[in-house]
Amino acid sequence: MLSIDPSRTDLCEEFKVKPFGRHSADLHRLLDLMRWGFARGRTVILCTVPHKEWRLAKFGPRRGTPMQIDDGRAFTSYHDAVWACFRARWKEMTGGECPVE
Amino acid sequence: MPERLLAYTDKLSAEPGDLIEVKVSAPRPGTYRASLVRMICGDDSPDGPGFKIERVAGVPGNEYRARRQPIPCGSYIEIDDRQSFALSSFSVRTFIWPTWLDNGSEQCILGNWDAATKSGYALYLDASGRLALRIGDQAPLVLPHDLMSRHWYLVAAAFDAASGRAILAVRRLMAYGHSGQRHFAEGQLTPSAVPNRFLIAAWNEGKRATAHFNGKIDSPTIFAEALKPEALLACPGTRDEPPPERAVADWDFSQDIGGTWIIDSSRYRRNGHTVNLPTRAMTGWNWDGSEMNWKRKPEHYGAIHFHDDDLYDCAWQTDFSIRLPKDLKSGIYCVRLVQDELEEFTPLFVRPPKGKPTSPIAFLVPTASYLAYANHQMDTSWHFDELSSAKFTSVNRTDQFLEETYSLGLSTYDLHGDGSGVCHSSRLRPILNMRPKSDLWQFNADTHITDWLAAKGLDCDIITDEDLEHDGLDCLKPYRCVLTGTHPEYYSLKMLDAVQDYTDRGGRLVYLGANGFYWRIAWHPSLDGVIEHRRSEAGMRAWMTESGESYMAFTGEYSGLWRRNGRPPNLLVGTGFSGQGFDVASYYDRMPGSRDPRAAFIFDGVTDERIGDFGSIGGGAAGWELDRADAALGTPPHALILASAGDFPASYHWVSEELNHTHSAVNGDTCPMIKADMVFFETPHGGGVFSVSSISWAGSLAHNSYDNNVSRITENVVRRFLDPKPL
Repeated sequence: MLSIDPSRTDLCEEFKVKPFGRHSADLHRLLDLMRWGFARGRTVILCTVPHKEWRLAKFGPRRGTPMQIDDGRAFTSYHDAVWACFRARWKEMTGGECPVE
Repeated sequence: MPERLLAYTDKLSAEPGDLIEVKVSAPRPGTYRASLVRMICGDDSPDGPGFKIERVAGVPGNEYRARRQPIPCGSYIEIDDRQSFALSSFSVRTFIWPTWLDNGSEQCILGNWDAATKSGYALYLDASGRLALRIGDQAPLVLPHDLMSRHWYLVAAAFDAASGRAILAVRRLMAYGHSGQRHFAEGQLTPSAVPNRFLIAAWNEGKRATAHFNGKIDSPTIFAEALKPEALLACPGTRDEPPPERAVADWDFSQDIGGTWIIDSSRYRRNGHTVNLPTRAMTGWNWDGSEMNWKRKPEHYGAIHFHDDDLYDCAWQTDFSIRLPKDLKSGIYCVRLVQDELEEFTPLFVRPPKGKPTSPIAFLVPTASYLAYANHQMDTSWHFDELSSAKFTSVNRTDQFLEETYSLGLSTYDLHGDGSGVCHSSRLRPILNMRPKSDLWQFNADTHITDWLAAKGLDCDIITDEDLEHDGLDCLKPYRCVLTGTHPEYYSLKMLDAVQDYTDRGGRLVYLGANGFYWRIAWHPSLDGVIEHRRSEAGMRAWMTESGESYMAFTGEYSGLWRRNGRPPNLLVGTGFSGQGFDVASYYDRMPGSRDPRAAFIFDGVTDERIGDFGSIGGGAAGWELDRADAALGTPPHALILASAGDFPASYHWVSEELNHTHSAVNGDTCPMIKADMVFFETPHGGGVFSVSSISWAGSLAHNSYDNNVSRITENVVRRFLDPKPL
């Protein structure tokens, strides 16, 4: 079965430091699993102020419905938003909190 | 939903002196301010060259009263005659291939029912996807039987006014095991014979069309009598088929497939027309795979696919007009609208007066490719978007607006709501990603080129793909040097012939992008500003054309890759699409070809071995999409490979059309086919082609105040190409 090994904190650390570009084979596999399928229903990133502010969000059930925007947290860098999205996806897939803050 | 000013113009390409009609929908009451600006650079990101516009002095800014205008999406057919369908007794029958049974809305198949007055009749799918008949304001007769998506059915209804007997009937053409193929329901209703508009694939709601059908409809027929049940469900050509000569109308969608007419093949000729361009040349109920080209067997292509999100023309009223000054310099302009803190730009490409070029350089703006991507919603259309981009879905307020609006019309990269691929894209609607201050893709990325030209003092004329389609080679002939955009991906036959003829006759082409000249499209022969595309057979496809539907309705041409049409891009520009990735960009290393004396002018003053290891797009000049030289695909034998980029991570992926068999070595870190090759070659009569073969190249031009090896190489090439001395 294709699943994420929740004990691999090393992969979280690797992604947090370098979210783009070359990754280890194990992190590449983990990201492929996280990214399979439609984004609808899963945590995504919404830029709310161009070049300045990002929030986590989810698409509605279909086109023509409102997005759900996490108003509780705003990120001032895209990389921080990407890391928060990684942690949210980790929880969506494993059911547990991402072990790396 | 974020508030947006929305606007479009009647023209995208214009000449000085032209009158431009601007159509606006403003979200707030009051007024908005409009002006005309020249667009130098639309990139407002902190890493870019800076946002640069200039006010056009000859066009005064003005205040205009704000109003909202509707977005009338959804395709359907309107029949011109009304009186003949004000029937007391009737039968209707048609084939359908429903595609979105669970969308939760009523979907009209055909009829003249008006939801505003609750009069007339309609055969339709109810909100649960079941076949239903509605007459007047009475409760509908519903067939208590579920239909299946993407299956052909013959559906019918008969109503006898004298007895009040109504019959609903359905027959599934595909037989499965023990499930019955035919179902009937019977009820009592009273007539509503009124001369409402007769529509197919929608019903009336006053003057509007609503309850749009999603799916195919084929061969609808209507009779002024209640047919017997066995006749209702008899296929054409069988013993019980109702006599066509008794039909009130018998529409044949296989006629005028390329146009908008709907032909009634009965003796009455009760014709109609399509609205919002439903997809035609679709395989019909009787298609059996014996022919793939609809022109050779149109009788198998009698289906039209309707979608509730089709949109050809918003048909908005004009809010104001702008007369372009007669001495306006050719360039990219935008109508700028401001209401409070809201700001919108709608572009306008001003070419020089016909036959009067104002510069030896032309920038060929790839407006066909802008249309192909217009208002794209790949983030939700694609199940593979994150895997392709190697990023978590990252959207902006424009994407949010498009997601929450149903619908501003889609791009050829999207799926309709019913999951079918989008074949058409038009400019007669607001296009929110063809504007400055948007993602650095297509239009906005191309302003890196206009910015660089301005910085270098290189004047240029503007020509668009629409001009190329209209005038062919004539619009390129006056120029010594033609520059492409960063991603001129979509080409019609006439456009491709014009550029090929230009280089064959001594023209000089600077290809400043990648994945160009890739897909074959058609412009509609008579409708303004709309392209068609089918994602046939192979290529990096957003969706896959259904079997038998690879030939375009507009022209009958086989669509898909130019490579599969015998015209690989390598023949024109020396390189062709090899791979893509969207997280980081890379650099080029100089190759032996750069030492060839023929290339000396290109590297004049360039001492670096590594080219473009900097830039505002991914951090390098070789990135996003890449092209490779390949003699087997037509790269000329004398082409010099000047530099090559091949250092890409696993997030870069090899193009699927070259992967004839699956395996795992298809990524940047394992596949040697993923490369960007910078090439130069001479063409007949002293012409030449220089290709950078990377989309991110233009994002490096402004680095270090335009003083860098990418800028130097580009300038060396352009200045030499301007020299009439043969290459």
